[in-house]
This record gives sequence, structure tokens and C-alpha cells, in this order.
Amino acid sequence: MPKQTLSVGMALPDATLLTFGADGPQPVRLHDRLKGNRVVIFAVPGAFTPTCDSAHLPSFIRTAEAFREKGVDEIICLSVNDVHVMRYWGEIAGAAAAGITMLADPAAEFTCALGMEYSAPETGMLNRSRRYAMLVEDGVVTVLHVEERRGVCEISGGEALLAAL
Amino acid sequence: MTLSIGDSLPDATLVRMGAKGPEQVQLSEVLKGRKVVLFALPGAFTGPCSTAHLPSFIRTAEAFREKGVDEIVCLSVNDPFTQKAWAKDTGADQAGITFLGDADGSFTRGLGMDFTAPHLGLIGRSNRYALLLEDGVIREANIDKPGVCEISTGEALLEKV
Repeated sequence: MPKQTLSVGMALPDATLLTFGADGPQPVRLHDRLKGNRVVIFAVPGAFTPTCDSAHLPSFIRTAEAFREKGVDEIICLSVNDVHVMRYWGEIAGAAAAGITMLADPAAEFTCALGMEYSAPETGMLNRSRRYAMLVEDGVVTVLHVEERRGVCEISGGEALLAAL
Repeated sequence: MTLSIGDSLPDATLVRMGAKGPEQVQLSEVLKGRKVVLFALPGAFTGPCSTAHLPSFIRTAEAFREKGVDEIVCLSVNDPFTQKAWAKDTGADQAGITFLGDADGSFTRGLGMDFTAPHLGLIGRSNRYALLLEDGVIREANIDKPGVCEISTGEALLEKV
């Protein structure tokens, strides 16, 4: 994928991501999910990591219903993890019950195409995604909140994105 | 290299979850002068690993200790956050099993034990094997074929110890 910079007004590149379906891992074409829809996508550094687990994902579980009331068709949590880990994180954290779609970008192709990757080898985190949240309308980014500092979840949280809608 | 009895395991920088968060650890320090069981698997929360492989070492952990094993290590190409969550979810932490992450997969590749299955979302992961190591030297090696968990189980290794 050619490298772009994630920004408002950008049409997101297509990507094949993975979700855990009834028969196991299954590919998801991102453009199929985005076409004609209002979609919230929030990206996290990793399943079960402290800030993601304690703050970021829960903020979207809390606000999921309010997003739907504002016409959001789907809420997607994206991470450079494998689909097995994403499935269990979604179940353990309660995201699956809240109707949040857990999508894996296992080789970080989508994340790298947006220029959103970072690495912290000393903690075992390689080519993971920076923390951000965005509203995507018919495939185009219309609101974008990128967390500038590591280890916090402020502007990229569910409430902050909801307030921007 | 390949995993052969009598060979020394190469050193590697791995990661584990310490009291204050993730920390790096040299494999040679874990192995030096000690009797260690090391088993490797494709990934935390993946089907056959959860349902067969890891539990087989939870069941046999005490018996290994009675035979003089100092530490039982589960190795996978995962980050330490995921490994910690898996250890808690399966009860492996209570059984005293140590989790070491080969986060960039370099140790696994160096052994020629890596595989990739994009349709399963598993990239550069480890095949299943179980080793008995004494002072870093491989004394027993049970290496499974991809996709099965038979000879690399806790019970199968315990018989040889």
C-alpha cells in the first residue's frame, strides 16, 4: 500500500482486516464496511495493554449507544494484534456485548499505510498503532482525534469523539 | 539451527511481564545452571493451544518440580500484555508457569521453528515444541508437526524426564 498521512478529508485506503466469525477467522474488506456508512474507528496500541484496557476501549463501550443515536452504523476497534487475541479481549472486556466490532490488522499493513505505526521493542510492542479515533463517512475521514502523548487516552476517547459529532 | 538433543540453545533477548511492567530478559540467564522446561506454541488465546497444550503443563507443573525442574517456561511470539492476560485467564499464572515473549519472532526464526498462516492472522509464529534443558543444553526435544499437539504436551515430556 502506498504511504499516506491520516488526515481529515482523506479517503481511507482499502485494507483486508480480520475478524473472528462463527467459523473462525474471516477476512473483512474495510471498504465494504465503510461504503455508504457512518463508521467510528478507534485504534489502540494493543489488546490487554493498560491504557487501552482500562480507558480507551471502555470509553467506547460507555458511548456506543450514544453513537448509534447519532446515526453511527458501526463502531470498530482496530489493533495490530492477531484475531484470536482480539476476540478474547472483546469478550473479556465486554466490547463484544456492547456491539463493538474487533478488527485485527495482523501484519500492520493498514496501520503502516496511514503512517500511524510505532515501536517500543523494550516492551515487546513492534509496529503497533498509535492511539486515535475518527468518524468515517462513506469512506472519508470527517473527524480525527489523534492522541499525541503516549500512555494516555484523552482526545481519542469515546466521549471526546462523541462531543465532536 | 535445528533443535537437536545435545545442542545448546542460542541466547536471545525476550520480554516478560515484571512487577513494574514489561522487561527484557536474556534467555541465557534463565537457563544458566538450571533445569528448565521450555514449551513453545503458536499464540495466546488460539484454539488448540488453549484447549490442550498450555493446560497439559498446568496439570504437570507440580510433577516437573518434583523431578527437579526449576522453572517451566511458555514461549510464544506475543507481547507480554497478551501473555499476562492469557496466563490469568487459563490459570497458568497460579500454576507458576513463566511466560516469555519472543515479540519480534527472531528467536523462533533462528531455530527454524516459525510458520505463517495469513488466513488465521498468524504471522511469524512458533510451531509447537517442548524441551528439557539443563544448563542451556537440550536434553529432550519433543517437536510437533504443525497443527497438532501430541508429543509436545506436558505429559509426553514428563515421561522422559
